[in-house]
Amino acid sequence: MIGSSTPSSSVTRFANRIRAILSCRPVVLPLDLQARAVLPDDEAVARHDASVWALRRKRDAAAAAVPDFEALRERAAAIKDHALDHLDVYLERFEARAREAGAVVHWAEDAAALRGIASRLLAERRVERVVKSKSMLTEECALNPHLEARGIEVVDTDLGERIVQLGGEPPSHLIVPAIHRTRAEIGALFHHRMGSPEGETDPERLMAHARGDLRRRFLRAQAGITGVNFAVAETGSLVIVTNEGNADLGTSLPPLHVACVGIEKLVPTLDDAAVLLRLLARSATGQAASAYTSVLTGPRPGGELHVILVDNGRSRLLASPGHRRALRCIRCGACLNTCPVYRRAGGHAYGGAVGGPIGSVLAPLREASALPYASSLCGSCTAVCPVRIDLHEQLLAWRREAPAAPPGLLHGARVAAALMERPRLYRAAGRAARLLWPLLRRAGRRGPAAAWLRARELPPHPGARFGALFARRAREGRR
Amino acid sequence: MTGRERVLDAVRSAVRHSVSMPGAHPAPALDGSFPTFAARLAEAGGEAHGPFAPDALGAAVLAHARTWSAGGRIVVEPDAAPLLGPGGYEVAAPGARPHDFTDVGVAIARGAVAAAESGSVALTGREAPDRALLFLAERVILLLDAARIAGDLGSAFRALAPDALRFHHLTWISGPSKTADIEQTLVHGAHGPRALAVFAWRA
Repeated sequence: MIGSSTPSSSVTRFANRIRAILSCRPVVLPLDLQARAVLPDDEAVARHDASVWALRRKRDAAAAAVPDFEALRERAAAIKDHALDHLDVYLERFEARAREAGAVVHWAEDAAALRGIASRLLAERRVERVVKSKSMLTEECALNPHLEARGIEVVDTDLGERIVQLGGEPPSHLIVPAIHRTRAEIGALFHHRMGSPEGETDPERLMAHARGDLRRRFLRAQAGITGVNFAVAETGSLVIVTNEGNADLGTSLPPLHVACVGIEKLVPTLDDAAVLLRLLARSATGQAASAYTSVLTGPRPGGELHVILVDNGRSRLLASPGHRRALRCIRCGACLNTCPVYRRAGGHAYGGAVGGPIGSVLAPLREASALPYASSLCGSCTAVCPVRIDLHEQLLAWRREAPAAPPGLLHGARVAAALMERPRLYRAAGRAARLLWPLLRRAGRRGPAAAWLRARELPPHPGARFGALFARRAREGRR
Repeated sequence: MTGRERVLDAVRSAVRHSVSMPGAHPAPALDGSFPTFAARLAEAGGEAHGPFAPDALGAAVLAHARTWSAGGRIVVEPDAAPLLGPGGYEVAAPGARPHDFTDVGVAIARGAVAAAESGSVALTGREAPDRALLFLAERVILLLDAARIAGDLGSAFRALAPDALRFHHLTWISGPSKTADIEQTLVHGAHGPRALAVFAWRA
């Protein structure tokens, strides 16, 4: 027991911290601690790492080309903080202006409400064919399976989204959903699901094939569902950004547009949206601007616009002074591209709609999650975030507030705590470890931790216990 | 309680109304010249031509459009037609359906303002009432008054006419439609136009 050692010793303090970890509820950790092979081999890991790191480097070049980039980040953070702290005002203002412009505004407190409203809107109009443009919110709320279960054909039209939809898997990156797939895999998928020629791997020809297939679907769609990048309170406008133009076809061809908007997307004015837009594409892909930025105010002539404002846990984040900043997020993906864990693990390892640092910050909000432990806390995410979210601090705060340590860490911590409370046993264990070290290094490659140790190596043992090394260093220092 | 009340109640109990709006962002004073605009547009995969004298614009644009359309339909938004003069194209009919434009080779419209920092051109429902045309056409040509180029996006937004948002859409276009979703290989013409040219004029 703790009481048997000196209360003030640093060993006791450390043991107490470990005991705090032990009191956590263990949950399943989907990252590599769980040894689930997400990226199949080392080559896939290296390819994924290189792809997302290239995006990070483009982001750096784009940021350097704007003289006021850092000032923009400051201002963007301040705009979001102000908007979030007056969110009730801006939501009501947006609702009023959007209605004046002819939109119908709905409110959904959770994912089930969003699914209910969307499927009712479609059912009332006997819609059977929907084209969708990228929306992480509808991923979060599992809208597609809900609509498909009701016999509605839902086609994701962003090329990357279409690839993962045909492959029956979730997106693995916020901006580049199929970044984990090779051209050969995509070629095979298109051959089987879209009838493209067998063996075709040329990205241009694969895209041309998908373009033809999706163009037909755009033309016969009865409704378009989109996410939204920003909602402007002052004018009741929706700002939607794409490179492909898919959201634009999806909102200008079918008579019905259903826009799904997380309530954190509200900004006061178009001027404020401009500040965030100047950061968004640069932070995401290193482009000065995405190909299309559409500001939609009210329905298109002869059409209908329904806007669904979705909470789904956001108001709980808003109520937490420590975590509210996470709602500044504009979903650019910069924190993913720079994260040493994401780069090597891939988005699917996170098991949620949003991976990477921001995904790990948002996950504990919905359920006990070990994702805040899937970080080295290096702070690279914080350094690139365009709205200056202190992501690594947030991850640390979640470990403190809603601890849900992975089981492996728990077992290790239990053993360590037991040893540190018993100095004699501790020294004996040290002696045993020194003797058995070479054996441990080999055995680790086969035991239950084999997958975890694939990319890690026990360092060679220094040959003496720390106390002896420390004493020797001290003696040498005196000489 | 309705969903609206539940969401708003939860939000109201979470906010303090204490974080004030930051002061004005110092104007970045970025270069709003045509060469800068043209360079950024080229980086975005588009091409910039001109600036032409107003009476030379139409001939240059239509020659380009004929090459691009290769005998296909050339459709001009009503607002752009006076800038082109007569010859070899159809003007989009008022009240046309979006599906009327599925086989258009080249669409031509006038831009309202531009942002040099990203080579972007904005059009509203005034310049482009047929929004689908801008995305269904195989190639798009935008006409731009070189005096309407702002340095940065924020300044360009402010340079728009006050009634710009009275229209259903305000669309910023920066180069052709594109994707890099297959192994980061850039491909033009993802869903929308395969190519985009901006023809500028200066009075």
